[in-house]
Amino acid sequence: MIKMKRLAALGLAGVMSLGLLTMAGCDNSGNENGNGGSDGDITITMMYSGTAAENDFETEVLPDLVHEAFPNITLEVTKLPDDQYYTALKTKLASGECPDIILVQPMYAGANSVFGLAEAGYLEPLTDMKAIELSGVGASSFTYNGEVYGIPSGVTMLGTYYNADMLAKYNLAVPTTWDEFLNVCKTLKDNGITPIVMGDKDMFVMQFGLYQIACSEIYAANPDYDKQLRTGETKFNDEGTWDKVLSMYTTLYDNGYIDSSSLGLGSAQAIQKFIDGEAAMIFDGSFDYAAVVDAKGAVDFTRGYFPLPASNGDTYAAMAPGAGPAIYSGSQYKDECKAILEMLYDGESDMYKAYVDSGRIIPTYGYGYDQVNPIYDKFMSLYEEGKAFYWCNQAWPAGTEEEMESKLSEYIGKQGTTVNDITKAMQAKFDELLAASK
Amino acid sequence: MKNNSLVFPKKLYFFMLPALALFVVFWVVPIFQLFYYSVTDFNGVNYDYNFVGFDNFKILFSEGTLVNSIKNTLIYALLVVVGTNILGLAVAMALNTKLRGKTFFRTCSFMPALFSAIVVGFIWSYVYMPGSGMISSIIDLFGGDGSNVNLIGGFNTALIAIIIVDIWKGFGTTMIIYLAGLQTVDESLIEAGRIDGCSTWKLFTKVKLPLISSTITINIILNVIAGLKAFDYSFIMTNGGPGKATNTLMYTIYKIAFKDQMMGKASALSVVSFIVIIAITIFMLRLLNKKEVEM
Repeated sequence: MIKMKRLAALGLAGVMSLGLLTMAGCDNSGNENGNGGSDGDITITMMYSGTAAENDFETEVLPDLVHEAFPNITLEVTKLPDDQYYTALKTKLASGECPDIILVQPMYAGANSVFGLAEAGYLEPLTDMKAIELSGVGASSFTYNGEVYGIPSGVTMLGTYYNADMLAKYNLAVPTTWDEFLNVCKTLKDNGITPIVMGDKDMFVMQFGLYQIACSEIYAANPDYDKQLRTGETKFNDEGTWDKVLSMYTTLYDNGYIDSSSLGLGSAQAIQKFIDGEAAMIFDGSFDYAAVVDAKGAVDFTRGYFPLPASNGDTYAAMAPGAGPAIYSGSQYKDECKAILEMLYDGESDMYKAYVDSGRIIPTYGYGYDQVNPIYDKFMSLYEEGKAFYWCNQAWPAGTEEEMESKLSEYIGKQGTTVNDITKAMQAKFDELLAASK
Repeated sequence: MKNNSLVFPKKLYFFMLPALALFVVFWVVPIFQLFYYSVTDFNGVNYDYNFVGFDNFKILFSEGTLVNSIKNTLIYALLVVVGTNILGLAVAMALNTKLRGKTFFRTCSFMPALFSAIVVGFIWSYVYMPGSGMISSIIDLFGGDGSNVNLIGGFNTALIAIIIVDIWKGFGTTMIIYLAGLQTVDESLIEAGRIDGCSTWKLFTKVKLPLISSTITINIILNVIAGLKAFDYSFIMTNGGPGKATNTLMYTIYKIAFKDQMMGKASALSVVSFIVIIAITIFMLRLLNKKEVEM
C-alpha cells in the first residue's frame, strides 16, 4: 500500500514538473518570428489592432492572397482590440518575440507610434520601397531621422457631417468661412434646431472639431509648429495659436450651438441623435462613415460632409495618413515581408484591390482612387492642392490631448476654467511627457 | 520524532514548490518590479530608462493627481460601502421573512450581480442619457423638464451617478451573504426576545445584528476593497470625466500607464494605492474585529 502511495506521489510530482517545464518551454516552442520549414516554407506573423469582422481583410482575406502570390509563405495574422494590442506589442517587443509585421500609427500617435518604436530601434527602415514612393506626402508622417519606417494606409479625415435637407430648408449653403459657419449655426438655433450635437462624455470627440480648426488657423501659417513645440520655439500658449483655436471652438458652446448636455452624451448616442434628425451637424471622422451616413435613423435625410472653414476662408483639411504596417527589425524574414507589403500597396495587384474593396481605406493612388465616395470630394481636392495637415495629436506625445480634453470639459461644464488655463495645462503636460519620452 | 511525523513528513514540502514557484514568479516578483519602476522614467517600451528618485511621487502630488484620485476613491469607497450594505441588509431582512414569492424576489435582487460591468455600464448610460434617457423620460412623463437632468455629465453629480450603478450591481451579492448570516440566527433567541418584550427594532439591533456581526465584517471589508479598486464604471461610463471628476486611483493609474505611456509614474501611483488600500483594509479589519467582540 505504501509502495502504491509512493508511486502515486512520484507520478504526481513528475506530472507537475513536466507541466512547469512545458510552461517554461513555451517561449521557445512558440517562436513568433516565424518557423522555417524543411522545404523552404516559411511562416510570417503579423499583428494588427482592431476587431476582426466577418470575412475580415487582414485575418481572412489577406492570408489567402499571400499564399496565392507566395506559395512558400504562410501568413499568420492576429488581430487584437486596441488596448490588448498595445499590451501584447510591448510584451512581445520586450521579450524579443515580436511578430514580423506590426501595425504602427503615424508620428507619435499611440503606444504603437512609428516614431516611438523607430527611436527604440524596433523597426526596419522601408525608405527604398516602391510603396513608400507611391504613398506620397503621407510617408512624411512615418519618416523618422530621414528613414521611413511604416507604410501609410490611405487617408482618414476629420470633418463636419451635416443634414443637407435641414440646411436646404433654411436656405443655408455649406459655409466657406468661419463667420458663415457661425451664421449657419445661429439660423438653425433661431429656428429651434440644435445646430451641432457632440458626445463629449467620450472626451476624445472634442478633437474632431478642434483639429479641423487648428489646421487652418495654426498649421497653414506655420507648418512646423509642432516640430517647434519640441524644440521650445513655439508654445501652446503663444498668442494667436491654440488660444485662437480654443476660443473659436468654445464660441460654439458659449452661444449654445453645441447641445448643452454634451458632457452627458456618449459618442454613439450623439451620432444617434444626428441620424434621428435631432441635430443638424456633428463633427466626426471618415472612420465613422458607416455609423453616421449608412445607418438609418428615425428620419431619412441626405448627408453631406465638409471641413470646418477657416476664419479667412483659406481652409485646410485635417487629413491623416492611416495607420499602416511596419517590419520588426529583429525579423528573420525582412525581405519576404517587404515583398508582401510591396504587393499589398502597389496600387494595382489583386491584393491591393481587395484591400481597397474591403472599405478599410480611402485610397490616395492607384485602383479605386477615382472612385472615392463623392462625399469626400471637398477633402480630396484640398489634399491634391496640398492643403491638408495631419491630426495634431499625432505630433504630440500621447497624453497631451487628454489633458486638453479634460480641461476643455471643465470649460464646458463651467468650472471656471479659461482658454488660457487650457493652453497652459497643455503646455505643462506636453513638457512633462516630452521629458519622459527622451 | 519530528522528522518522522506520519501526519506531515518533511518531504511533503516539495509538493508546495510548483504552487510557490508560480506564486513567486507571477505575483511576488511583479509587485517588487512595481516598486522598482516607480523610481524610474520607464515608458513601457524603451528599456533604456533613467532613475529619477522620488520625482514621480513629487509630480503626482504637486499636479494634484494624487489628491484628486484619492479623494474620489475614498468618496467612492465610503458611499459604496454604506449604500451596498444598507440596501443589501434591508433587502435581506425583507426577504428573510415569510413572504410570498420570496424566491422570485431573491432572484430579481441578485440578477444585477450576474451581468458584466460592461453590460451594466452600457445600460445605465442610457438610463442617465440627458434628454431621452430613462430618468429624463420619467421626469418628462410627470410634467417636468427631463432635458435639464444631466447626472452623468455634471461635475458634482457624475461620481455619485456611477456609485449608484455600482451599488445597484453589487447589493445583490451583499444581500446573499447577509441572507446566509440571517438564516443562521437561532429562532429561539428571537422568540426569547419577543417574550421579554423587545420591539422589532430592538430585536434587530440587540439580537440579530450582534449575531451576524461577522457577516457585517466580511461584507464591509469586501465592499471597502471593491470600492478602493473602483475602475469599471469610470472607464466604461465616464472615461474619468467630465474633466477629472470621476478619476479614481485605478482609473488614473490606467490612464497614466496606457494613455500617457508613463509606466514609471503609473508605478509610483500604484505604490501609493497599494499602501493606501493596505492601510485602510488593516484599519477596517481591526476596527470591525474589535466591534465584533464588543457586540
